[in-house]
Amino acid sequence: MASTSKDNMQNICSHDNPEKDLEPGASHDSILNPTDSFEEFATEMNSSLEGRATDVTKKSSTISEIQSEIGECSKALKETKSSENLLNKDEAISSSVSNSNLQEQNGDDTESELDDYLKSPELVNKEKHVFILSSAGKPIYTRYGNEDKLAGLCGVIQALVSVVEEQNRDILRSIITKDCKAVFLVKGPLILVGMSKSNESETQLVLQLTYAFNQIVSVLTLTQLNRIFEQRRNYDLRRLLSGAERLIDNLLIFMEKDPAFLLGAVRCLPLPEKVRENITSAIISTCHKIRDLVFAILIAGNQLITLVRMKKYTLHPSDIHLLFNLVRSSESFKTAESWTPICLPKFDATGFLHGHVSYISEDCQACLLLLTVQRDAFYPLSQAKHTIADKLRRSYCLTAINDALNRNKDLTTTNPLKHIGIPEIRHFMYKCKSTAQLFTSDPISLDRLQDYRQRHKEGGDVVKKKVEKLSDMDYVRNYREFCSKIHCARSPAKLIFRSNSEDTILAWITNGFELYVTFDPLMEKDLAIRAVDRLLRWIKNEEKRIFIMNAPTF
Amino acid sequence: MIDIINKIDSFFIFNSNFGPREGDELKRILYFYPGQVNSDIQKTQVGLCEAVVKFMTTFSSAPCEALQTQSKRYIFYQPERNFWMVLVICIPYATKLPGDIKDAVEPAIMYDFMISSYKMFRMFMGLFREILPEDTYAICEKFFTPYISSRNIRNDLSNVIQGINYLPLEKNTFFKVICFIDLLEVNYPDFKCISFLYNDQLIWNGLCKDDMLTLYQYLIHNLLPKQVEKEIQGGAVTAAERHGRFISPPEGIHSEDDLKKIIKVYLIREDDNEAKAYYLVIYRTLSATVSFTVDENTNLDLSTFRSLDTFIGPKLSTIASSIGEQCTMHALVNAQITPTDHKFLYFNKLNLALKTSMPSNSLNPSTAVSPEVLNIIAEVHNDHKSLGKYGEIIIKTPDEYWITGKSSNDREFYVVMQKNANLKEIADEVKRICEMQMKGIFFYPM
Repeated sequence: MASTSKDNMQNICSHDNPEKDLEPGASHDSILNPTDSFEEFATEMNSSLEGRATDVTKKSSTISEIQSEIGECSKALKETKSSENLLNKDEAISSSVSNSNLQEQNGDDTESELDDYLKSPELVNKEKHVFILSSAGKPIYTRYGNEDKLAGLCGVIQALVSVVEEQNRDILRSIITKDCKAVFLVKGPLILVGMSKSNESETQLVLQLTYAFNQIVSVLTLTQLNRIFEQRRNYDLRRLLSGAERLIDNLLIFMEKDPAFLLGAVRCLPLPEKVRENITSAIISTCHKIRDLVFAILIAGNQLITLVRMKKYTLHPSDIHLLFNLVRSSESFKTAESWTPICLPKFDATGFLHGHVSYISEDCQACLLLLTVQRDAFYPLSQAKHTIADKLRRSYCLTAINDALNRNKDLTTTNPLKHIGIPEIRHFMYKCKSTAQLFTSDPISLDRLQDYRQRHKEGGDVVKKKVEKLSDMDYVRNYREFCSKIHCARSPAKLIFRSNSEDTILAWITNGFELYVTFDPLMEKDLAIRAVDRLLRWIKNEEKRIFIMNAPTF
Repeated sequence: MIDIINKIDSFFIFNSNFGPREGDELKRILYFYPGQVNSDIQKTQVGLCEAVVKFMTTFSSAPCEALQTQSKRYIFYQPERNFWMVLVICIPYATKLPGDIKDAVEPAIMYDFMISSYKMFRMFMGLFREILPEDTYAICEKFFTPYISSRNIRNDLSNVIQGINYLPLEKNTFFKVICFIDLLEVNYPDFKCISFLYNDQLIWNGLCKDDMLTLYQYLIHNLLPKQVEKEIQGGAVTAAERHGRFISPPEGIHSEDDLKKIIKVYLIREDDNEAKAYYLVIYRTLSATVSFTVDENTNLDLSTFRSLDTFIGPKLSTIASSIGEQCTMHALVNAQITPTDHKFLYFNKLNLALKTSMPSNSLNPSTAVSPEVLNIIAEVHNDHKSLGKYGEIIIKTPDEYWITGKSSNDREFYVVMQKNANLKEIADEVKRICEMQMKGIFFYPM
């Protein structure tokens, strides 16, 4: 025991040289691109007004790169939908919304109507609003209420954004009151606004808006989005986004509840190492001959089971989150095999991948996504899927997946806290930085996420209630502040230990991992140190089960 | 040193009701710093702020606090209904460039700067709403322009939190001070709310704590430095010849004309509900400064001041010398304690008492604390929720600084250390410092 705590002391104090064995889950190969979302945010937010315009368009297309590699360069990807056709003729009036005169926008008529609608029960007292509008001020999406009635508000937002840009040569970022943060993000031809009364930081809100933007890109591609607005500044984008609204709705809930977004990491379904190996090799052996296949992804309950990829290409966690959201939001995938264009914005925002999406079988809620650059590969992929399903069933992998999904009591990962055996730990959340994967003591299950809205009748309202017993979501909510403090650009931290009458929270970031632990109130420091040490050792012990430690390719 | 002047992009005060019609926009601007800014730009800036304030009212009942753009932060403060003060400072948004961090200012510190500027204005000029609209422009100009250029904020622990430096005295000396104040009150019933300072440390406070803080800041930042300078120039003989003198008005009170120069302040005294005007009289001998307030309806009489002078002068100089002796003794004792390189700060919200390990006079600026550390302390101090009534936070920064903050019943204690250690060792060290420096003050958790 003495030696353990000594190790650990060194460990908690020495950050330059963390012990190799106490960096659970670390791996040289990663299926995921572990770019830190906070780093990325910082670079993005450093962009000047002038730099922004070019930023959106400069990326080269990964998809055409793949196509040229497999010898199809002549058949460059054409978008399935031609944007020209979609632009309705009656939209021809290019009445650009006046943006120079703020006073006019503030005029009495619009203002009072706007006030009335914003005070209606549909909109008042919501914890977080999200509005998306075009840079011409046309409403595209609102989380609550009807965007048609929000034209006035959108006009004001557009005017604010453009006044700051044109008259001050600056970029509007946020407005704060004591209880509310308004965050503005101008991305390409869109303006996204988040109005939050929750405890999320500005950075976290901007990341959420970026996700919402990426969700739109994933439906349209950035190329098409830009082209539409180049041709018609005043275009009503809702015509193209029908159906995507639900995706954004769900994504917003998902982001508020799942720490995966907070940490920019992906959660894996805990499985015995052998089972995961079998699944992966079943996929590889079936698919290695399908030349155009870029990614084969098996997911279940917002968790990754395995990901097999074309050499050289990795996926960014945020693209996987969009895939999770797509699968979670689409009931139709459950009933039939689907063939759908999917744009993964971090992978290649300019074009579509084509996805064969289907649940593996009726008795197993795992969903297989086969993503290819080939537009007409449905049948070969469908065939591959059935072969994979058969192999998995025969090797009892489906049972293992179901056990993990149903959180079978015999599995150590089902109730990790009980297994670790430190009663003072109430909750923890661990992210391995090199592989961008996370593990928490109480995985949020799919069902609970999905009917979160129904269970909480408030539907996003601000509620003040005395919490008797914290749910995992409440813990995550508490971690938000720590997460933003530890990553704060102005004064970052390596370790935060906070103890008050409610609880004791430790947030610790090293080169290899991020760890957030909630203990009982007024926890002694040496006890906390020892507990963290045991916790890390436990994760290390289980790492092959709870993380994907290799990066298989076809 | 944070160079306030260079950090402030602009500072303005507006009231939209002052020029409700179009074309009258300039009338809404009560004050604009820097004054040479072209009036169109002034109008745009104020217009933007008006729009932002209005925009946020649709979503929040709380008044607007800040607007952040890529390069600037607009800090809003509405001291009175419809009167808005906006301080624009150059803070780039969410950068990680080390160059920017070097001279970054925590917005909370600037917010406090603005609030104290208003409190000072209110103390010497009264409420905005009680000043005639047409006079407001000139009054603001007269007050704020010198205020901004005179004030600087040092990058030092004592500036993160605005408080009062109290002088602890041995009980006999303290008793002498109290007796002196009582005697004064009995003999000169018109002279009320007596406060007693020695150098820049407060010994007795006769005002409510908010007003005291403002008066304290006025004394140690504005009035006293000028007097001290004069004393040094005037040589020791003149100072010794005279036991003491009135220092407000600065030239003293010698004639009927001088009586008219006595400044008025607006204060809320113990039994009052709202601020009332009082004359402010300040008297100084050696290093001791005493201030009184006199009801503005009192007939000021030169003979009263003469008799007051003869009454206070000798008594105060005796007290001042005995306090001086004690301070010297205390300094000697302190010099024997081995100095630690740890920095600490103690603050009590109830009496605004502030104690730091660092010399807080302007002659000895400390550069040892990095701005990141100050930012963290300012953040913890301003985050009232997370520590609650009792709590403790320990933060380690990438460059090996450990910042500990403790909160216990409105008392706060911060320690900054730079060393390679672990959580437990830091906590033990903090406990030691707390026991040594804050003897008898209880912090929970230990």
